[in-house]
Amino acid sequence: MRTEGGGALRWALVGPTLLLLVAFNVFPLAYNVFLSFTNAELVGEGARSVGGANYARVFDDPLFAAALRRTALFVVVAVGVELVIGFGLALALKRDFRGKAFVLTTLLVPMMLSPAVMGLYWSLILNGNYGLLNQVLAGLGLGEPQWLTDRDLKFWSIVLVDVWMWTPFMMLIALAGLSSIPPSIYEAAAIDRAGAWTTFRRITLPLCAPLLGLAVLLRATDALKQFDLVMAITGPNDGGTQTLSALLYQIVFRDGKVGLGSAYAILVLVVVMALATVFTRYVDRLRGAEAVR
Amino acid sequence: MSAPENREAFVRPPALELRGVTKRFGAGASAGRGARALDGVDLVLGEREFLVVLGPTGAGKTTLLRTIAGLETPDAGSVALHGRDARALAPADRDVALVFQNFSLYPSATVRENLAFPLAAPARRLSRAEIDERVAWAAKLLHVERLLDRPAKKLSGGEMQRVAIGRAIVRRPKLFLMDEPLTNLDAKLREELRVELRELARELETPVVWVTHDQAEALTMADRVALLVDGRIVQTGTPEDVYARPNSPLAARELGTPPMNLFDVERKDERWITADGVELARADAGAPERATIGVRPEHVLLDGGPSDAVVHVVEDWGPSRVLFAHVGAHALHVLAPRDCALRAGDRFRPTFDVRRVVVWPRA
Amino acid sequence: MSFLVLERLEKTWPDGTRAVKAIDLAIEPGEFVVLLGPSGCGKTTTLRMIAGLETPTAGRVLLAGDDVTRRTPAERDIGFVFQFYALYPHLSVAENVAFPLACAKVARAERDAAVARVAERIGITALLAKKPRQLSGGDQQKVGLARALVRKPAVWLMDEPLGTLDSSERLAMCEFLREQQLEQRVPTVYVTHDQEEAMRLADRVVVMAEGSVLQAAPPAVVYSDPATLFVARFVGSPGMNLVEGELVDGGGAFRTAGMARPLPLAARARSGPVVLGARPEFVRFDASSPLRGRVAVDAFHGPCRYAHVEGVFGRVAARRGAEERASLGDEVGLAFDPAGVRLFDPATGGRLA
Repeated sequence: MRTEGGGALRWALVGPTLLLLVAFNVFPLAYNVFLSFTNAELVGEGARSVGGANYARVFDDPLFAAALRRTALFVVVAVGVELVIGFGLALALKRDFRGKAFVLTTLLVPMMLSPAVMGLYWSLILNGNYGLLNQVLAGLGLGEPQWLTDRDLKFWSIVLVDVWMWTPFMMLIALAGLSSIPPSIYEAAAIDRAGAWTTFRRITLPLCAPLLGLAVLLRATDALKQFDLVMAITGPNDGGTQTLSALLYQIVFRDGKVGLGSAYAILVLVVVMALATVFTRYVDRLRGAEAVR
Repeated sequence: MSAPENREAFVRPPALELRGVTKRFGAGASAGRGARALDGVDLVLGEREFLVVLGPTGAGKTTLLRTIAGLETPDAGSVALHGRDARALAPADRDVALVFQNFSLYPSATVRENLAFPLAAPARRLSRAEIDERVAWAAKLLHVERLLDRPAKKLSGGEMQRVAIGRAIVRRPKLFLMDEPLTNLDAKLREELRVELRELARELETPVVWVTHDQAEALTMADRVALLVDGRIVQTGTPEDVYARPNSPLAARELGTPPMNLFDVERKDERWITADGVELARADAGAPERATIGVRPEHVLLDGGPSDAVVHVVEDWGPSRVLFAHVGAHALHVLAPRDCALRAGDRFRPTFDVRRVVVWPRA
Repeated sequence: MSFLVLERLEKTWPDGTRAVKAIDLAIEPGEFVVLLGPSGCGKTTTLRMIAGLETPTAGRVLLAGDDVTRRTPAERDIGFVFQFYALYPHLSVAENVAFPLACAKVARAERDAAVARVAERIGITALLAKKPRQLSGGDQQKVGLARALVRKPAVWLMDEPLGTLDSSERLAMCEFLREQQLEQRVPTVYVTHDQEEAMRLADRVVVMAEGSVLQAAPPAVVYSDPATLFVARFVGSPGMNLVEGELVDGGGAFRTAGMARPLPLAARARSGPVVLGARPEFVRFDASSPLRGRVAVDAFHGPCRYAHVEGVFGRVAARRGAEERASLGDEVGLAFDPAGVRLFDPATGGRLA
């Protein structure tokens, strides 16, 4: 759109935002890139350029490889389970019944709480010695698994809490998807003598898929950054549950290796950006499909 | 009737004059809305004239109205309102009223508030009493007086469209632009409103451009009809003229239900013969060698013709019957009297009323 | 035995509105029945109850002798055309049309052939690869029709299927439906508010108003012998002319407001108040008639014109030749052809003679 003589006004309106953007986004990023080529430490001075040495170390570091694999596993399993359960709940809640509003609100509670606080609560519940869960299990004579300390269990405990927290989100999006399908489409399917399974597979699922895809992408980018639950439940330094973010925290804040940490951070950023690109492309495609309509 | 009005149009500037109006939509975002280009449209609308622009979906009818209203800017050509170049005028300054197909009322406001709304603009400087008077006037004309205090969302479709039209007339604009205002209504209501709104326009003495795909509206309401196909005006004239003497097969197809029967023929020994040898009617000696001929269904008689036809469907159209038949391999529509006894499968020998046959030379 | 029977069928909405009031209707094998009425008369609700998309609050639906009142749509073997298409938005046109066959586990090759056949007949072959949202309303409606016609069900149900088509397309589709019907002999119930469409298509027209059936008869009968004032007005374009007045001289003449002397009629049995009805083709200008008014509208209709004459008695339309113009404002006399005169009871709205 053409505007006349609004140049000064335009800058006055956009300026402050632009300034904030530079101060809090562009500068830190640039500084981070700079740091990643130095041996800067949290305490002490005299950062020297080390060239690409930090990046070389990252790729050699078995901890990084392990954290990357673990994070990927976390994303796939947690988001996958959330999708299946969330969609299932949405299907169950699609029809109207008495007390639906109450059930829905209750189901949404976990999503509304702070992850850090929830992590602490769950670490109490899952505590191997005095945790609520094990008291119940012991009472039933089912033994007392060490949820938070067992090498094979603690990672899955975090997955469990994440699923508990974010399934409601998937359910909410799936419900929105389901309710956007016009009832007449189902009437048409009934007339066409489509069975329940055909209706689900050929109508419900494909019509919900775009929104579900959106939810999965949102959750995946979020899960990729998983830190709060790890921090609250097992601590960031635990080798069995260390995600990329946790590893980063350890390198910078325990080991004080700011330069190396910056290199890690840049690599994580690349991964997140790749995923974000997929995400925006997908949203654009949805919007494009909408525009034709 | 329209002849003196046209003469008057030359003395005073016409209410509306379009010259070579062309509008194209790029392949961009707005193209998907189904609107197509206007291609060199010329139109003149006299004072008090009721012009119906008839065309199929996607012919450019809505674009034409929006261009007149100033909501679209033509890529080429000129638009003049009462002799003034309208290109410099913003929509609000053109003093035209636009009525849409889908009513567009404020649903929670009452009929009275809806009618008063266009008058409430401070620029109009109308007193409360004047506004009330105009609202009452419009409500009376459109028979919605008893609905004045009802919210718009509680109205039936027909009532809503009356109020929407009322909202256009309260302003007493210099020109009405109507975009298929009856399309969303029941058939019976449409028929009543056709008569009623035609009379209303006559009373208001305001020119109207009425856009529609409904032939009945074009035939019964118009002083003049303009046929719009693919962004071009194909023919203009009185409904009687355009109906009796379409200037091309294209125009013939646009007007008439059932449509005019059209045949590609050659003249042999003063007879019209189709390419596959079916003899249809007598041809004048001076007629072209190759032609397309057209004959209206009501000008096909049921006996005495040169070739056999077979009826395959008979429809009951109230005062008359319509035969869907075939002569040779060619479809033939016949509008027969109500007492016609022909049934599906029966044979007859159609005769064309030669005085009514329209002939277009063909290359 | 009738093929489809509605027995005291009734629908009351939760808010207490009686949408359909104890309707009785029997549809014969191969019959094309049109439910005709204004918006809100209950015609669509009736159709949806036949389909099983609404549950009746009382009464029964019998299909081929079976009580199907409590059965789901899928258990009824019907084809349905929705007013607003209800196409599957994510499937192509071809997949939409093929869907009922896919559900019936018809082999792919056979399915493709059937889709190609019906697409060819309805004229949507060029659209088969497109998605519904890329089509105009009229084209979407054709796809909806194709989807219903691709299978040969026990009965076809159509809810205003031509509402979104241009008038020329509508004519072609009417012809197509009629042929389809003659060929396949599948009984069809068709809903419309357009009386012209009803007249053209129906073996029998069922005129409905306010949830009740006013008349169910062949189009010609509904047209020339309407059972009530409502039917007389609703059927025909313009509808039947109706003039309130009274029969005098022992029923041998008709008098209405503003007449110098009564208008002689063929002798009728009774005197008293009546509504006289006559179709526009039975009204002619007659300078000697005592029924006088002024020409208010002279509307050209193509093959004919309708002159609307206004007087103290109201309005009367006369059907005249395409070239017989009438001048607006002229005073004319009106005469009725006795063969076309119908009389109604002004109190009940029912037919007298």
